[in-house]
Amino acid sequence: MFKKTHPLQSKSEIILRNIVVTVMVIYFTIFLVVPIGIAFAGSFHEWNPLSGTYNFLGLANYIEVFTSGLFGKSMLNTLIFSVVVIFFRVGLGLAIAYAIYSTLVKHKSFFRAVYYMPVVTPMVAVAFVWKFMYNPQIGTINQIFGLDVNWLMDPKTALLAVMIMTIWKDFGYAVVMYMAGLYSLPADALEAAKVDGASAWQTFRYITLPLLKPMTLFVVITSIISYIQAYVQILIMTEGGPGTATYLASYIIYDEAFVKYNFGYASALSFVLFVITAVFTWLSFRVSGTEE
Amino acid sequence: MKRKASSIILNLILLVVGAVTVYPFVWMLFSSFKKNSEIMALEQHLLPQEFILDNYVNMNAHFNFVRFFLNSLLVTVVVTLLVVYTSTICGFVLSKYKFKGRNFLFGFVLSTMMIPWCVTIIPKYSMIQSFGWMDSYKALIIPAMFSGFGIFMMKQHIASIPDEIIEAARIDGANEFFIFHRIILPMAKNGISSIAIFQFLWTWEDFLWPYLVINSQEKQLLAVGLKMFNGQYSTDYGALFAATAISIVPVLLIYLFFQKQFIAGIAASAVKG
Repeated sequence: MFKKTHPLQSKSEIILRNIVVTVMVIYFTIFLVVPIGIAFAGSFHEWNPLSGTYNFLGLANYIEVFTSGLFGKSMLNTLIFSVVVIFFRVGLGLAIAYAIYSTLVKHKSFFRAVYYMPVVTPMVAVAFVWKFMYNPQIGTINQIFGLDVNWLMDPKTALLAVMIMTIWKDFGYAVVMYMAGLYSLPADALEAAKVDGASAWQTFRYITLPLLKPMTLFVVITSIISYIQAYVQILIMTEGGPGTATYLASYIIYDEAFVKYNFGYASALSFVLFVITAVFTWLSFRVSGTEE
Repeated sequence: MKRKASSIILNLILLVVGAVTVYPFVWMLFSSFKKNSEIMALEQHLLPQEFILDNYVNMNAHFNFVRFFLNSLLVTVVVTLLVVYTSTICGFVLSKYKFKGRNFLFGFVLSTMMIPWCVTIIPKYSMIQSFGWMDSYKALIIPAMFSGFGIFMMKQHIASIPDEIIEAARIDGANEFFIFHRIILPMAKNGISSIAIFQFLWTWEDFLWPYLVINSQEKQLLAVGLKMFNGQYSTDYGALFAATAISIVPVLLIYLFFQKQFIAGIAASAVKG
């Protein structure tokens, strides 16, 4: 960290550097470090902006988090949601990317553009579209499959319905990431496998897949971080219901903070979620054996 | 022969999955040209039996759609331009200048990406209130000016621009401001495209923050408007389909426009990252 400064630093370099570093530090202090501090302090208080209360509670908010049945249920939902969606996102993403990468397929950029379309579409908008698609009367899904399922109103299918929508929206991201990974594979490793007479499956299983490990790790970690924070699809499609069937952890925080205005309790929930995110991220690095 | 058969099967699979992927968009688009009675009918057809434009023409009658749309466009364009500029200049300083604390600063920027939105949103909301920025676009623009993700992406990108180019410009007597604006900015266009697309999408779709800090109807943004509209006129499906379709158009246009650089951009930084 304490390297010798560059001997040829010009005056304009020092000016530019100082401006950029100063503005950056000030910005992140005001809009990140200070808010984290305020939220941390607030998590030990009964804090309601509507009634103007801010009373010290000690650990009471945290005790409530860990004894709350709703939070437990929402963490279970979040776990199911994340594991299932990440599994399909990675699996489908890898399969489709490998298919497009194959020399047998010609219109690569066309397919890539098609699969990426849902990723670059606003979640608010697609959540509405899917809500209509799941509608038992006018929805296209029941019509196509000749089903009579009240997808979003039945506790048995509601979370599944939200997961299917999220997989549809997000797998294209994994496709593009894996395609990038595939095109940067070292050609000599694949060539050597061919010379040694490895079958297509052997090459994929023992050469390609291990070489793609950093990309898989990247997709899994960014997915964990984003799914622990997912709430927009819940807000639009189910509002946590029916009952508590689709409560996700972040949706509870939204609900406690901006529907019930329990800022203190919501802050405690947020910190618990932050720690959980950090632990899972760390675990993914450990499991994959990457030191960075 | 075997090769040809597997080629057909593979292309067919990709086409079917592609059709499933695109289907919701197609269904929404066709539905937006249908009458409400047709949308609600027991017997459904994908194509409109009677093609009407009323849902688009009458959209503004229910709620101030055009206003919401233009507000969103203004805020999104301003935030995107600012984030692109700040990310590129921070990325340049962090990747090409050597100074004490650089690695610490970059590590800090990286760690900001892991902090959930919910940790900071409550204090930020209270701060905006005490700054007196409620119901003003300052509240939407200023706290969004820097992006940890953007700085990370641009640092990765600019690191791949050879130092020799910068050195050559310095020898020719260019100062650092000139080097950044005239050499680095144009050379970083792949990275800039990917940040522009992501930032445009994120600002365009952000629902909670504008919902919290903007109170007046005439200043509200489209994502919030769409949610309100859905609550109020939940039976006018045709108009809802039309409003949703239009809200998707700007992001898709930006994506299609920058697509080539965008893919190259995210690919490059993810492979290195």
